[in-house]
Amino acid sequence: MKVLRKLSAISMLVLLTSVALGQTLSIWSGFPEMEAFYQRVADDFTTDNPDVNIEILTQPLRDYERRITVALPSNSAADILEISSSFAARLVQGGLMPPLTEDLQTFVRGDAFNDFFVENASFDGDVYGVPLFRGQGALFYNIEMFEEAGLDGPPQTMAEYLDYAQTLTARDDSGDPTRSGWSLRLTGGGSGVAEKFWTILHQFEGSLVEQTDDGSWVAGYNNEAGAEALRYYVDLVNKLDTVNPELRGDAEGFQLGTTAMFIRESWVIGDIASKTPDLPYATALLPRGTIAIPVNLYVTNDNPLAYEFIEYALKPEHQLWLVENVGWLPNRQDIDYTPVVESIPQLEAFLNIPEDHVLFTVPPISAIDEVQTRFAERLVAAYINADLVDNPEGIQAFLAEAAEETNQILSRAGLQ
Amino acid sequence: MKSMLSTTKTTPQLNIKTRHGLVGDISSTIILMVGAILMMMPFLWMLSTALKTPGEILVWPPKLIPENPTLQNFVTVFATAPFGRWLLNSLLLAVVSTLAILATSAIAGYVIAKFTFPGRMALFLVILATAIVPFEVYMIPLYLSASRLGLINTLPGLMMPFLIMSFGIFFIRQNAIASIPDELIEAGRIDGASEFWIFTRVVVPLLTGPLSALGIFAFMQAWNQFVWPLLAVNSKSLYTAEVGLALFQTGYTINFGAVSAGSVISVMPILIVFFVLRRQIIYGIALSGLKG
Amino acid sequence: MFRWSISRRRWLFAYATLAPVVAIYLYIRILPIGQTFLMSFRNWDLISVNKPFIGFENYLELLRDVTFLRSLRNTTVIAFGIVFLSVPLSLLVAVLLATPRKLNPFYETAYFLPVVTSMVPATLAWKWILDANEGPMNQFVGWFGVEPQAWLINPRLALFSVILLSSWKILGYNMIIFLVGIRNIPQDLYAAATIDGAGSWQRFRYVTLPLLRPILLFVSVITVIQSYNVYTQVYVLASDAQGAPGYVVRVLVYDIIENGFRFFRMGYASAEAMMLLVIVMTLTLIQFVTLRDRA
Repeated sequence: MKVLRKLSAISMLVLLTSVALGQTLSIWSGFPEMEAFYQRVADDFTTDNPDVNIEILTQPLRDYERRITVALPSNSAADILEISSSFAARLVQGGLMPPLTEDLQTFVRGDAFNDFFVENASFDGDVYGVPLFRGQGALFYNIEMFEEAGLDGPPQTMAEYLDYAQTLTARDDSGDPTRSGWSLRLTGGGSGVAEKFWTILHQFEGSLVEQTDDGSWVAGYNNEAGAEALRYYVDLVNKLDTVNPELRGDAEGFQLGTTAMFIRESWVIGDIASKTPDLPYATALLPRGTIAIPVNLYVTNDNPLAYEFIEYALKPEHQLWLVENVGWLPNRQDIDYTPVVESIPQLEAFLNIPEDHVLFTVPPISAIDEVQTRFAERLVAAYINADLVDNPEGIQAFLAEAAEETNQILSRAGLQ
Repeated sequence: MKSMLSTTKTTPQLNIKTRHGLVGDISSTIILMVGAILMMMPFLWMLSTALKTPGEILVWPPKLIPENPTLQNFVTVFATAPFGRWLLNSLLLAVVSTLAILATSAIAGYVIAKFTFPGRMALFLVILATAIVPFEVYMIPLYLSASRLGLINTLPGLMMPFLIMSFGIFFIRQNAIASIPDELIEAGRIDGASEFWIFTRVVVPLLTGPLSALGIFAFMQAWNQFVWPLLAVNSKSLYTAEVGLALFQTGYTINFGAVSAGSVISVMPILIVFFVLRRQIIYGIALSGLKG
Repeated sequence: MFRWSISRRRWLFAYATLAPVVAIYLYIRILPIGQTFLMSFRNWDLISVNKPFIGFENYLELLRDVTFLRSLRNTTVIAFGIVFLSVPLSLLVAVLLATPRKLNPFYETAYFLPVVTSMVPATLAWKWILDANEGPMNQFVGWFGVEPQAWLINPRLALFSVILLSSWKILGYNMIIFLVGIRNIPQDLYAAATIDGAGSWQRFRYVTLPLLRPILLFVSVITVIQSYNVYTQVYVLASDAQGAPGYVVRVLVYDIIENGFRFFRMGYASAEAMMLLVIVMTLTLIQFVTLRDRA
């Protein structure tokens, strides 16, 4: 017994000292599917730095955002945080995270990244985040269903989207749709609904919020573009009856065959590969442009290992692995993605973006989540409101009322 | 099985037949039976869906009895989520919370019932008044306190709000007043026993009934917690069964089978406990419900 | 001198044992409740160092906030809906179960099972049953000639769905309380009523119901109070990787959590929490006064 106790005491001691001697580097992420990526980078990193113990923690985005907000002020956050530009903005403005080292700032400002990503990672002239990947939307469509309907390619204009949606809808004997031609996000929690609406709005050259010349923010949808976008939804649901909230839509419906096309980010490619690998589908660019949400890596303290780790994460081999295996799009533009696009042709619409394709993003302002969530609540009710069919005044009134709320939120947040 | 309340009351049962007795009896039996079946339906569907293949789940109309029952969904669940760990966390939370509530309620309830000291009434009124404040009202400051103490995302942080129960103190106080004669305590004191000895050897044994009722109530309350564990814990390894399951389903919209299998797994332990301790549980809840 | 030291020893014991309990109590109950109250007069985003005092502004804004008002309305509808659905049914079952029957233990168990089942798996089972496409609920109502419904998407039906599943969950609990109450009614009252020629309905109407009235009131108020905290059901029904059904049912606690932890409006969320407290306290007071009058 005594020997045993001694032994265990010694092993405890050894364990403790080894932990104390080795250095720890922690990384938090709000995308559980990113864990494999960080693990891969960590394996590479620890081959060169065997003393370093790397802790990776991923969790669902909302819980994650709550967690960093509470952890940062009490200095208990991880060394490296993966945060989207718009959410990071309020943390950077609150002085909770330091700018990058001069070296890294120079690197980020160099040729590796498009200005769009550099801007979104900067504040007041300093670069705070290293662009890692982006969430970007495109059209997913089912090739087989398109062929059956006699359509030989994706829709090119918004008018075609409307036609295609009708042609592709499958109906039962009583005329009720059993498969939506084009699945729209009609229900659901919070910002998702507003973000999808924003994407359609963007095709009509509108924006959910706009910055005026004096730097203040206002609702940008109480206009012709907003009316057209909303009319799209209202007509497809209530007049043309090509889609309704009960039909399974989105990635799930696409995989189950209850929708012929929908707009979503590139992660769907990975999701389809794992759930329904035989699905015949392709992707296409949206008519005018699409949403791109940059996600960056931020360092919370002066741990030199953190910067070193980020350099590893940016290695071309890991960036290529990221897009090929996780499905999120790496932001480095100085890497040749041709081999990946060749093996996964659906990535074409995500990685080869023409010059005139207009990207938009959720602006880095503190109240944007609340603006989107509140607007989304109104949208969900409006989409299924048959009174809005052929009722321009009704749509106008809806938009005006919603815009008033949006502006109120913006002004309360001191953005007006 | 005996009727669960037969122990609580020994008055003779109503046994007078009227002319309409038989008709009435048949119709009440039908009502009770149909009702009972409807009440159990969600459980049966949960089990049925858990045993179905993905293809069969989407068949319309749905069938209660799976044609090709499979355990594949359970395999999927255990392969993708640490359900065992989550159940263990729930159990830890429930056990620690129950023990803490029993200890604090027993001592505080007894002292408030049997000791006269300045501030006794004020203390009792404060406890009574806060008993009705819903947890949701003060969870935000509690979260911030826990965060300041570094308890967010730790087991102690998870347990923190459930160490005490206003109703428990009140409940034990009422029972101590009703069932512990002052003479017994005095006798102990005259024999030279310490206050602590009297409490553990005289008072607690006399309160076994109410304490076990309270224990069952506290255990179930802790097991069913959702809002706090959802807020206070962020890493998968610290989820309780409830939170784990709720977040598990968000990733599996396409897989109702796996979600149902997860539900079956998380509901099983408490149902087993229920069937073993059926009478005590119902008695305990009946007692606690009659606090007013 | 001797007596003084004995009572001092008792005081010592009382204070020594109560001290830790009171300390915990202060820290996890009293303090947070007080902080919620104070915070409700401030504006704080969880990050800023400043927490400016803004008086009743949060409360005034609440009264104009359509989302809050809708949450309040939904929660109220749910709370009273649960009472109206579950209380009569549980009373009916309790009355029927008061007559001895061979199968009573089975019935009691069946009705009580949902009470011990935790809310998340219970809601998940219902989420599947109420599914618009494959759920058995639509098959069930189909037998009565009702068209398939979008139970979790149509705002009214979603509200009803929450009421239905919550009533299912709480019915057994209320039933037990009623059963205890009925068993406490002296048997000779029934015997006397029967001798006077009362049928079973008259016995229920003139003996059971009047004597059960305090318990009826107690059960109703407790059910309303508990239901004002409804959250888990709505969270589970509304959370989904894709578009979430059931999101249309916004309730108070959902709104509090969203304002506090998602929009970082801690002061505003605290004001909302205080409103919840006021509602619960009012209900308790009503119960207290009414019961006292009868006693």
